[in-house]
Amino acid sequence: MFKTLTVAIREFLATVVTKGFLLGILLPPILMGLAITLMPILMNQASPKIEGTVAIIDRTGGTLESGLKIAFDPEKLAAKRAEKNKKKIEQATEVMPMQTSQSKQAMELSANAGGPGPSLTLEFLSPTADAEAEKKRMTESDGHGDSKVANPRLALAVIPETSTTPNASGKFTGYDLFVAPKLDPEIQGDIRDQIAQAVIDQRIQEAGLDPNRIHDLVERPKGETKVVTAEGEKKANEAAAFLLPVGFMMLLWISVFTGGQYLLTSTVEEKSSRVMEVLLSAVSPMQLMVGKIVGQMAVSFVILSLYMGAGVIGLIYANQGHLLELVKFVYVGIYFLIAFFLIASMMAAIGSAVNDMREAQALLGPVMIALIIPMMLWLPLSRNPNSMFAQICSFVPPISPFVMVIRIAGSEKIPFWQIPASIAVGLLAVWFAAWAAAKIFRVGVLMYGKPPNFPTLIRWIRMA
Amino acid sequence: MENRVETAIQIRGVTKTFGTKVAVNKLDLDVPQGSLYGFIGPNGAGKTTTIRMIMSIIFPDSGRLSVLGKASAVESKDRIGYLPEERGLYRKMKVGAFLIYMGRLKGIDNAGLDKKVRDWLERMKLGDCYKKKCEELSKGMQQKIQFISAVLHEPDLIILDEPFSGLDPVNRRLLRELIMEQHNAQRTLIFSTHAMFEAEQLCDNLFMISKGVKVLDLPLSEVWKKYDPKAILIEPLAGAVASDRASWAALPGVREAKVENGHVELKLVEGQDPSQIMAEIAARIPLRRMEIRKPSLEDIFIELVGGSAAALQAETEGMREYATAGKEATGV
Repeated sequence: MFKTLTVAIREFLATVVTKGFLLGILLPPILMGLAITLMPILMNQASPKIEGTVAIIDRTGGTLESGLKIAFDPEKLAAKRAEKNKKKIEQATEVMPMQTSQSKQAMELSANAGGPGPSLTLEFLSPTADAEAEKKRMTESDGHGDSKVANPRLALAVIPETSTTPNASGKFTGYDLFVAPKLDPEIQGDIRDQIAQAVIDQRIQEAGLDPNRIHDLVERPKGETKVVTAEGEKKANEAAAFLLPVGFMMLLWISVFTGGQYLLTSTVEEKSSRVMEVLLSAVSPMQLMVGKIVGQMAVSFVILSLYMGAGVIGLIYANQGHLLELVKFVYVGIYFLIAFFLIASMMAAIGSAVNDMREAQALLGPVMIALIIPMMLWLPLSRNPNSMFAQICSFVPPISPFVMVIRIAGSEKIPFWQIPASIAVGLLAVWFAAWAAAKIFRVGVLMYGKPPNFPTLIRWIRMA
Repeated sequence: MENRVETAIQIRGVTKTFGTKVAVNKLDLDVPQGSLYGFIGPNGAGKTTTIRMIMSIIFPDSGRLSVLGKASAVESKDRIGYLPEERGLYRKMKVGAFLIYMGRLKGIDNAGLDKKVRDWLERMKLGDCYKKKCEELSKGMQQKIQFISAVLHEPDLIILDEPFSGLDPVNRRLLRELIMEQHNAQRTLIFSTHAMFEAEQLCDNLFMISKGVKVLDLPLSEVWKKYDPKAILIEPLAGAVASDRASWAALPGVREAKVENGHVELKLVEGQDPSQIMAEIAARIPLRRMEIRKPSLEDIFIELVGGSAAALQAETEGMREYATAGKEATGV
């Protein structure tokens, strides 16, 4: 027992305390966490407030002045901006539910970025002013606020008469907007939107209609999806509910497979570096194998908890915590153990039988095919977790743990009896795999030379 | 020491087959406590298989085996030190960490383990290697580390499979001294070797195996007695070069004569007193040198194992040395 534990501890440390593991496995979630924490701090470093004028040459005969003044009213400008950002957040939330917290934060921040928004004042020039001459004044500012003059001109709009009154062919035309170099595109957008709004309102007015009424009429109706459940209505986040089972399955798959891969590599290394027999002088093959599997299980578990922890924090941030149920984590834990011991037994057997990684690839093929199945089937499985196909897959090791995790993590209830039944089948499979692996391991570890094929492995199982 | 028994290893009628090949056939062997046993035999003779069975790494198909009074080495693994033929180190592991790991697996208490490791490294003149990675060491240094891992836990029984292969003369001598030191400490030692002169120099008992069958198992002194000097080596003075082989062979009591490089080697008939023939020869021709030739283990080996196996042995030995020399030359 003590020896097995010693082997396990060495196996764990030898895997975890390496540059490869620290960089490849631990760093990504840490970096992501740092990014989430640091981004608000960095983004709060507001850029200096932009102040300046927007010059208007209104050739429509002054009809736009009042409309523009309303449109560029600082309060209205700020409100417009806030609304625009809210829309962006909503869109983003629909697309990436897992990151709502981040995107929300980011959006709120970007809304606040640049402080309270630009302070724009309108400057109405004479309708007959020379556009060329007025444009030159814009070079007084670089558009970043650090101008040499107090209130630099940021933009110049030249609005022709035909923008509000149809021309000879009955069409409206656009207008010219000249902006200072490097003016923030966001501010440019604001200016364009506000001028366009003023021009449209003027057109509506000239057509004898009420602009506010028209706005109300064309407002796009919003539809909110709500799921009807036994507990009442829930606000739906379809994407999150859909992605959660896949997320669970992927985490399980990645952690189990990474641990299995490490186990294979370390076993092959012990064999090819011929340290195996030195070890076997101190421990029995069984102690060595169990120690190695337990050590790598700890590695897998670290990976699983790390990534799952990150996922859970993400979901809670995104106010999707209601999707998480403790019992599901317990099931994931159980299926993790089943999946890990199944894969690890196979990996230990393969690792002990071959001389190097190249030979291992040949035997790994069928195992990989079996493991890829849940990856290919997640879509039909998560869409329809109670189909006959899904139910059958739940009892076929080694894919059953992955399939069960997809089914359990989904929102659709599955027949309860299938959970203990599939766990029982899984445990039976683990027992068989470990038994066969132990036999192969005992023969394989000291076999050098021609790499075995599957019939040879089966002979070893029967022989030992 | 606990559980002292007279016989360290007892093997009775042990047979092991791999597929159709009989690796070890009905082997009997007793290794007395405190002896230094040499296992010799050609490649594929069954030495390593026997050793692995003693170590309970593989198990016999039939027969009985007891190690340090226990039915299997598994129960006394911590009292056995083993340097396998197929040996290696964790390439990325630090030397000190590796030895501490092996020490722990061998059941040494944590307290004092580190000091023990450092002392051994110091003795092996590897004191500065404690923090080095195993892959940074030369092959000879690695072998010394492996030797440390075999004896670190002060075992009662030490089994060394081909301990001398790959060592330079300086380290061979060091290893010989270490083996003798363990022997003087009343520990039982077994080592297998291809190099007969190592066995000749070290062993007090000799075990020879060929094609899975024991062909010799005697104390070394008995071996010399049994394979009594029955050859005379003659080096005539220049000019007095001996005549043809036939006339030498015609001498009474001579079984076979060999003329080579101006030397003559006469093999005597069983029971023939060499002094008689020597007097006769001395009377015939002037001599630079004449001596009773003690047969080398190699001679005995060839006689017992047979020419074909020996030829194969010599060939593989040569190839092995060639390969080792090549590796050393390329710095691998």
